[in-house]
Amino acid sequence: MTSPSQAAIAGAETPGPDGAGLNSEPVDGDKAATDQLGRSPGQLMWMRFKRDRTGVISAFVVLIMFAIAALAPVISWLYGKDPWTRYGQIRPGLLNDNAYPVKPNGGMDSEFWFGLEPGLGRDVLTQLVYGMRTSLSLAVVITILSVVLAIVIGVAGGYLGGKPDYFLGRLTDLMMSFPNQLFFVAFTPVIGALLVSPQDEMPTWLRACVLIFVMWLLGWMTLARLLRGQVLTLREREFIEAAKVAGTPPWRIIRKELLPNLVTPILVQSTYMLPNFVTGVAGLSFLGVGMQGSTPDWGRMFATGAEVYQSDITYMIFPGVAMVIFIVAFNLLGDSVRDAFDPKSGR
Amino acid sequence: MRTARVSVVGLAAGALILTGCSSGGGGDAGGVSKDDAAKQQIKYEFGDAKDSTGPAEPVKGAKKGGVLTVYQRDSFAHLDPAQIYVSDEGSMSTLIHRRLTSYKRDSAGKYTVVGDLATDSGTPSKDQRTWKYTLKDGVKWEDGSPITSKDIRHTFERQFAPFISEGPVFIQQWMAGASGTGYRKLLPDGPYKGDHLSDKVLETPNDKTIVFHFKDPQPDLPYALGMAGYAAVQKKGDTKEKYDKKPVASGPYKIESFKSGKSMKLVRNTEWDAKTDPVRHQYPDSHNIQFGVSFEASTKRLVSDSAENQTAVSYSNQVDASSMQSVRSDPKVKDRSLSGYQPYVGKISFNMDRLKNKKVREAIAYALPAQSLMQAFGGSGGGELAGNYLSPTVAGHTESDPYGKVENPQGDVKKAKRILKEAGKTGMKLTFAYQNSPEWSDFSIAAKDNLTKAGFDVQLKDIVTDTYYDQIGKIKNNYDMYHSSWGADWPSASTVIPPTLDGRQVQDGASNYSHYNNPKMNKEMDRISKIKDADEAAKEWGKLSDEILKKDLPDVPLMYYKQIQLHGSKVGGAVMNNVISGIDPTQLYVKK
Repeated sequence: MTSPSQAAIAGAETPGPDGAGLNSEPVDGDKAATDQLGRSPGQLMWMRFKRDRTGVISAFVVLIMFAIAALAPVISWLYGKDPWTRYGQIRPGLLNDNAYPVKPNGGMDSEFWFGLEPGLGRDVLTQLVYGMRTSLSLAVVITILSVVLAIVIGVAGGYLGGKPDYFLGRLTDLMMSFPNQLFFVAFTPVIGALLVSPQDEMPTWLRACVLIFVMWLLGWMTLARLLRGQVLTLREREFIEAAKVAGTPPWRIIRKELLPNLVTPILVQSTYMLPNFVTGVAGLSFLGVGMQGSTPDWGRMFATGAEVYQSDITYMIFPGVAMVIFIVAFNLLGDSVRDAFDPKSGR
Repeated sequence: MRTARVSVVGLAAGALILTGCSSGGGGDAGGVSKDDAAKQQIKYEFGDAKDSTGPAEPVKGAKKGGVLTVYQRDSFAHLDPAQIYVSDEGSMSTLIHRRLTSYKRDSAGKYTVVGDLATDSGTPSKDQRTWKYTLKDGVKWEDGSPITSKDIRHTFERQFAPFISEGPVFIQQWMAGASGTGYRKLLPDGPYKGDHLSDKVLETPNDKTIVFHFKDPQPDLPYALGMAGYAAVQKKGDTKEKYDKKPVASGPYKIESFKSGKSMKLVRNTEWDAKTDPVRHQYPDSHNIQFGVSFEASTKRLVSDSAENQTAVSYSNQVDASSMQSVRSDPKVKDRSLSGYQPYVGKISFNMDRLKNKKVREAIAYALPAQSLMQAFGGSGGGELAGNYLSPTVAGHTESDPYGKVENPQGDVKKAKRILKEAGKTGMKLTFAYQNSPEWSDFSIAAKDNLTKAGFDVQLKDIVTDTYYDQIGKIKNNYDMYHSSWGADWPSASTVIPPTLDGRQVQDGASNYSHYNNPKMNKEMDRISKIKDADEAAKEWGKLSDEILKKDLPDVPLMYYKQIQLHGSKVGGAVMNNVISGIDPTQLYVKK
C-alpha cells in the first residue's frame, strides 16, 4: 500500500483526469501535473473510479439494490401487497389442489408480478424486497461492527507489538478456527434458553441481535490480520518515526498518521466482506437457523425454492437472480475501488 | 402407533439451477375425491372358516417369476415379530411371518379379519373372555417342520421376556389383567427359565388348539392377533435376542441375506403352501430391498421409470410433499401412483392444565386454518380435512364436524374473535409448540396469522423433530398447545379413544397429550370397551368421541393423513392396503 505522498506521485504517473487516457490527443503534461497537484488522494481516487465503466455500473446496481431494500415498505404500498398475507390460501383459485400456483410460471400475472409462493401462497415480489431488506440491513450492521473491531485489534496489535501483539494474534487465530455456521447453529438455542422464557417465542429483534453478534464475532479476523501487517510496515516508516521523535502522542499518531493510510485496505476489504455476510446470513437461513417464521428472508426463499424447484422453478429464479446480480456487482465494485485507490496493483 | 414421521424433505442440491421455465400448476390436479373416500370407507368383519381357506383370490394377470426391487428409507431395525411395531417393518413382515389372524382385502376393497395360521378368526365364548383357535393343517416353518400350538404358546410367553420391549402389549395386558407395564409380573423371565403361562391364561390342550382366557371380555382379540407384533415364533429356532436378525420364516418368503442399513434379499419359501393362506401370494422370485433411499430419491427414481426402476416399488416410501405436484400433474406418472389413507389423525392438543377456559379453546378451534396444514403436506394427496377424532380408516367414522373444520377450512377468525372477547381474554398469551419440520413450520405461520387476528398473543416455539414427542409428552410442559398425531393399531376406536383421551392414562410420555381427564367419560370408555357387538361398539365410540369433542374439546382435529405411493411400470398388482397403510407387498408381481 502507499502513503499519501506516494499515492500522489502514483496518480501523476497514470493518465491524467478529464479523459486524458481515453483521449488520444496529446495533453500538455505540465498542465495535467499542475491539475493534480492540488488534489487530495480521495479526489484522485474518485476521478479514477469515475473512468472505470464496470465500477460505475456495479455501483449503480448496488445502490439500486440498497434502495429497493430500504424502500421495501414503499414498494409494497405502491404495489398493494404485503409479504405476510397468504393470498393463495385465503383467496380460492390461486393455488391448486397440491398447493402450487394455478397459473404458469409460478403464478405470475398482472396482479402478482413475481408469482406466488407454493404452499403458503404469499406474494413473491414483496417477500423478495422485504427479504432483501432483512438480509442487507443485517449484513451492513455486521460489516460495520466487524470493521470497527478489526481496526481496533489490527492497529493495536501492529502498533504496540511485543506481547500485546502476540496475544491479539493468537486470539485472531483462535477465532478463525471456529466454523461460524456450526457455531451459530449451536449458539442460538443456548442464547434462547438463557434469555427467553420457555413459554415465549424468541423475539425477532433478539434473533437478529444473536445473528449479528455471532457473525460479527467470527467475521473480523481477516481484516484485522491485514491491518496488523500494514501497521507493522508503516510503523517503521520515516514519517511515523519523525512523528515519534517530535513527541506526538501515540493516539494522535494512530489517528492522523496511520489510519489515513489504512483507508484503502479497509474500504476494499469491506466491499468484499459485505457480500460475504449477505451470503453467510442467507446460508444460515437456508439451513433453517436464520430468521424464522413470518419474517421475510432472502435466504429462506432459497430453502423454499430448493424444496419446490422440481415443480416450480420460477420461484427460485427471482431470489436467485437477485442474489447473483448483487454479489457479482458488489465484487466488481470492490475490484474497481481497489483499482481506483491503487492503480498499479493487479493490472 | 405414534407417528415417527420425521418428514425430511431434503434440501436438494443443485439448488441454483436457474434455467428453464415451469409449466405452471394447472387447475384441478385430480386425486382422491370424496367418492373414492366412500369406497375406502372401511368395514372390517370377522371372517369364518370359508373366508379363511386358501389359496388367496388370484391377482388378475399375475405371473410368477421376476425380481422385484424395493426402495426403503429406513433399514429394518427389527425382524423378530415380537419387536415389530413400526409400519414399514410391519409391511415387510407380512411376507415372512404368519399370524393367527390376518386382514384380507378383496378386490372390491372390503376388509375381513380371517384366520391365517388359524382356521377362522376365532371362536369366542359367550362372555368373550375365552377365545379358541385351531391351527390349519399343512402350515409349516421354512425348515419344513409343522407349526404347532407349542410354537404359538412360546410366541406369547416370550412376549413377557425382558428383552422384548418394542412390540405391542395389548394381549399381554389382557392376559395379566394389568395396565401399563404391570403385565410383566405375570411371567418375568418369559419361558426361558422354566416358567410358563398357566392353563388359566393360555391353554394348549393338543397340537392344534389354542385357548385364550382373559379376565375381561376382549371382543377385539381377532384384530389384535392380526398385528405384525403377534406373528408366530418357532420354539425350536428361538435364539432370543439373535432372533431379531435371523428369524425363522413362515410366510411365502424367507430371508436369504440381511445387511442392516444396506440391503435385504427375500427369496421364496418353498415350505409355504398357498392352499393354507387366504391372504398372501408368492409371485416374484425374490424381493431385493435397498435401504437408505429417501422419499425424495425413491420418488425421483420411480418417476423416471428407467431400466431397473421399471420393476421397482417401495413398501412404505411415499411421495414427498414437494414432489406431489410433479407426480400428480403428469398423467403417465399418475397412472403408476396409488393414493390412500394413513391411520393417523393430525390434531392440535391443548394443554388442559393451562388452558382451562373452554371458550378460549373454542376460539382457537374456530380460528385454526386446517387447509393450511393440508397444503403444507402437499395438498389433497397428503391429507384430508378432518372434522372429528375418528379417521376414515377406523370403524365408526362419521362425517360429523362440530367446529366447522371441514366446512370452513380457512378457519373462522371472526367467530373466534367474538368468542374470545366474550371470554374476556383478548390479548392473552398463547404458546404454540411445533415440530421444526417444513410442514409444521408452514402451518405454524398460518396458524399464528389467524390466531393473532382473532386476538391472541401467539408465541411460536419450534422444537427439534427428534425430541418433539418427548417434550410435549411431559405433563409439566410450558406450552399451551401443540400438535400430535395418533393412528389406530387396528381399525377399532378402542385403540384411539382410550389411549389418547382416558384421563387415567395421564403420565409423562403417555399419549394423552392434552391431559384430558373426565371421570364420566372414563367410565363411558370402560363401558364401551366391554360391548361385544363390534358394530354397536363402533357406533358408541363414534358417539363418545363426538361428545368429548363437543363438550370438552381437548384436541382440535385438523387432518386425516394420506399418502401417495409409486411403483414402476412393470410392477403389477399394486394395491393400497389400509391395514398396513401402504402398498400390499404380498399382492405384487413382475410384468413380463
